[in-house]
Amino acid sequence: MDKKIKFNTKNLDLFYGDFQALKSINMEIGEKEVTAFIGPSGCGKSTFLRCLNRMNDLIDGVTIKGEILFDEKDINGDIDVINLRTRVGMVFQKPNPFPMSIYENIAYGPKCQGMKDKTQLDTLVKESLVKAALWEEVKDRLNKSALGLSGGQQQRLCIARTIAMNPEVILMDEPTSALDPIATAKIEDLMSSLKKDFTIIIVTHSMQQAGRISDKTAFFLMGEVIEFNETPIIFTNPNDKRTEDYITGRFG
Amino acid sequence: MSRKIKDNIVKSIIYLATAITLSVLLFILGFIFVKGIGLVNWDFLTRDYNEKVFYAFTQSEEIPMSIDTDTLSKNTPYDDRYETLTEGPIYIENIGAAVSKISYKNYTSEKEQFVISYIEKGSPLLNAKDSTGATINIKTDFILESINGESFENLTLDEVVSIISSQSGDLKIKVVQPGGGIKSNIITTLYMVLISLLVALPIGIFGAIYLTEYAKPGRIVNIIRFAAETLAGIPSIVFGLFGMAFFVVALNLQISLISGSLTVAIILLPVIIRSTEEALKTVPMAFREGSLALGATKLQTIFKVVLPCAVPGIATAVLLSIGRVVGESAALLLTAGTVSQIPGTLFSPGSTLTVQAYYIAKEEGNIELACAIGIVIIVIVIVLNILSRITSDKLDVFNKK
Repeated sequence: MDKKIKFNTKNLDLFYGDFQALKSINMEIGEKEVTAFIGPSGCGKSTFLRCLNRMNDLIDGVTIKGEILFDEKDINGDIDVINLRTRVGMVFQKPNPFPMSIYENIAYGPKCQGMKDKTQLDTLVKESLVKAALWEEVKDRLNKSALGLSGGQQQRLCIARTIAMNPEVILMDEPTSALDPIATAKIEDLMSSLKKDFTIIIVTHSMQQAGRISDKTAFFLMGEVIEFNETPIIFTNPNDKRTEDYITGRFG
Repeated sequence: MSRKIKDNIVKSIIYLATAITLSVLLFILGFIFVKGIGLVNWDFLTRDYNEKVFYAFTQSEEIPMSIDTDTLSKNTPYDDRYETLTEGPIYIENIGAAVSKISYKNYTSEKEQFVISYIEKGSPLLNAKDSTGATINIKTDFILESINGESFENLTLDEVVSIISSQSGDLKIKVVQPGGGIKSNIITTLYMVLISLLVALPIGIFGAIYLTEYAKPGRIVNIIRFAAETLAGIPSIVFGLFGMAFFVVALNLQISLISGSLTVAIILLPVIIRSTEEALKTVPMAFREGSLALGATKLQTIFKVVLPCAVPGIATAVLLSIGRVVGESAALLLTAGTVSQIPGTLFSPGSTLTVQAYYIAKEEGNIELACAIGIVIIVIVIVLNILSRITSDKLDVFNKK
């Protein structure tokens, strides 16, 4: 494989207090691929995802051991956390647009980085909304509150907001679990079009979704990565019995 | 006893309790209104409490009256609760104004006085200057006491009119601006609200930000919270004593607007910290995460996302605080004084409405006037409440869809 490695974790352990939530995770995530994490609830896949842009820093009592390399640099040492988060964006499970206008939501990140030029911001807002397939729906109401959008639109707005930062990686934590099937389909389409430009890592509870959109899939169980392979292999011919059991719906 | 009877007994107790609460409340409000409403009028709100005596310098000038005598006699700016018109009004051409004799009576004094009841356009009284050369704004209601050294004491109106009419050229008139109003107390109260909020709001909000966003939960935070809660429960006279010892004496700020405001600001701090903290806690964690995930710093997150969401809660804090300041009396009695004047500087004393109500009821025994002040206080609190409700609705980011 000549694909560049974006994230490389080495012997990553994570503890919530005394409870070990991640056990010695070793994983290489390739650039401009869609990587899906699947597994039953509480298996550590979201926790692992949140390690990648250090969102776990916000939680008290979390200790992390081992290394996470982002472009071969240690994210817990060599890279400033603010810089890391501008390069590794995140979309959350529940759409969380800020209670401001649609325009302000997109412009928020760039403005925080110090972008002030109005025309530059205008173009950026438009580009991001176009890329997130939301422009046509909201172009007449950019100054209205984002809270007036539907759930699916709000989630695409959150994706647009993340794209506006032009990150290298987009982390998605069950981005469609709060949405109806039509909105879900739109977001999945969006993801396939985004993978040309971005590395996407997605946590999902829907195995069909993982099958449809991802290039690689990792199966998590009890804080361990049981299997990590090309998606078609995971779904048709898994190496591990537990992966097969989970995928065929025998537990989970 | 059957269950139904028990239920009915409990139910009637509940209704009774509600009825008692409501009727007590209505009775108190009604009592204050009935006692005081007769005294609330425009003069009461716009006059100073103390009379002011001036010497007015002007030139006599013959100005004919432009209205007929019927209209003139209807033009009676008298407060018929204290004042009875005994003679007049009679128009005097060389001062361009009409004068009446009025007998004035209130709880503490009773006297006869000559009052300006009408001022003609172009009257020399309108451009009268005081001894320093500043213009005196003479209005109807002002009392005349002497002209060019000739006192009006114990004279009839006709005698006064003939004395005034016989003057020509330069006039030196002793005028008294009537008192009995609460303008200075209203203004002092508003100053007090403004200054104490200016001091207490930023400190309280930043304190609350520290407690919710920065401090690691644990001993220190618990101690600070406990301290804030305890402070909120301490009677304000204790703060007043502290303010007196510290601001008035130790910092030598004297009994003044600033001593009072700072003392009240300390009383407000716990209220503001507690309610801002509650407001910040209700802002969903998802907003903070969303902002941080976009590479915003913690401060940017707090000021651009978290605080705007907490505005309605902070507005509630402001509202509670305003109520506290307007209602505060014990602490201000000790730190801001009982002088009824508009404080010229931060370092001059002034009495707020509540202090004035106390003073009038206690020192002058005038319950009705105190009740009238009570009405004004109630109205101010209601108006401020409505205003803050409106602003907080306007600023509520979750309301705009």
